[in-house]
Amino acid sequence: MEMQLSDVGAVRKIVLAGRLDTIGVDHVETKFGAAIVPGGKNTVVDLTEVSFLASMGIRMLISTTRALSRKGAKLAIFGAMPQVMEVIETTALDDIIPVATSESEAIAIVTG
Amino acid sequence: MSAEQNLEDMSGLRLSEFVDGKLHLVLNNTMRAVSDGRREIQRHCALRSYDAKVINRLEIIFEELVSNTIRHGFTAHSNQSISVFAADRPGLIALTLEDDGVPFDPLTIPEPEPFTSIETARIGGLGISLVRKLSAGLRYERLTGSDTPQRGFRPCNRIEVLIAA
Repeated sequence: MEMQLSDVGAVRKIVLAGRLDTIGVDHVETKFGAAIVPGGKNTVVDLTEVSFLASMGIRMLISTTRALSRKGAKLAIFGAMPQVMEVIETTALDDIIPVATSESEAIAIVTG
Repeated sequence: MSAEQNLEDMSGLRLSEFVDGKLHLVLNNTMRAVSDGRREIQRHCALRSYDAKVINRLEIIFEELVSNTIRHGFTAHSNQSISVFAADRPGLIALTLEDDGVPFDPLTIPEPEPFTSIETARIGGLGISLVRKLSAGLRYERLTGSDTPQRGFRPCNRIEVLIAA
């Protein structure tokens, strides 16, 4: 599981690549939270290169978004491929974390 | 190296074979079983014409059930194991898991409350909920010792999941 961090203006951007399964989350979760929560910036997460999402990945996204929300900032995800989108929709994660189709749409959501 | 380290480092896969038209895996009590077993499932799927959506559902269901058993059903560092069978049926794939962990019937686990806000969202029970929602059928049996001579007559959980192919 790989992670890259950058800033797009005032918005933090995280790119994840690999499998968000038990082992992938174990590798990336601490780094993911540390890249997002302490800074308290509005954040977009690029899932374009995430090939697999299981419940541990959903837990990581919820707990990080919740911690960021307590700092008054928003998080949106974008770029989910069809099999990842099926899990997002099946768990209704998109009821509590905005899901966009593009980076620009995700940035508009968190800065709107 | 201590015995404990040795168990942590052990392979997740004790056995992989194809018998009577079924893939049969035996997985060790280590989280490596999830990735080692998944690779065998992927190899099995690559020889068949399942589409990407079906393979993804099979992998998710495998991941959730195996990781749940190792995390909650087994005693840490024990010699317990999970037998996995994958077989084709008309229009379906049957994935069967047998383990000698504590009794666990996934059908009795209540559905998590629907999400209403990020602040109150519960994150427990999502894995079993995913298994139920992505499968076409789910059956549970608690096998008594007389049904499991191959496991030294220890009682076992048997979970059969049907996935639309």
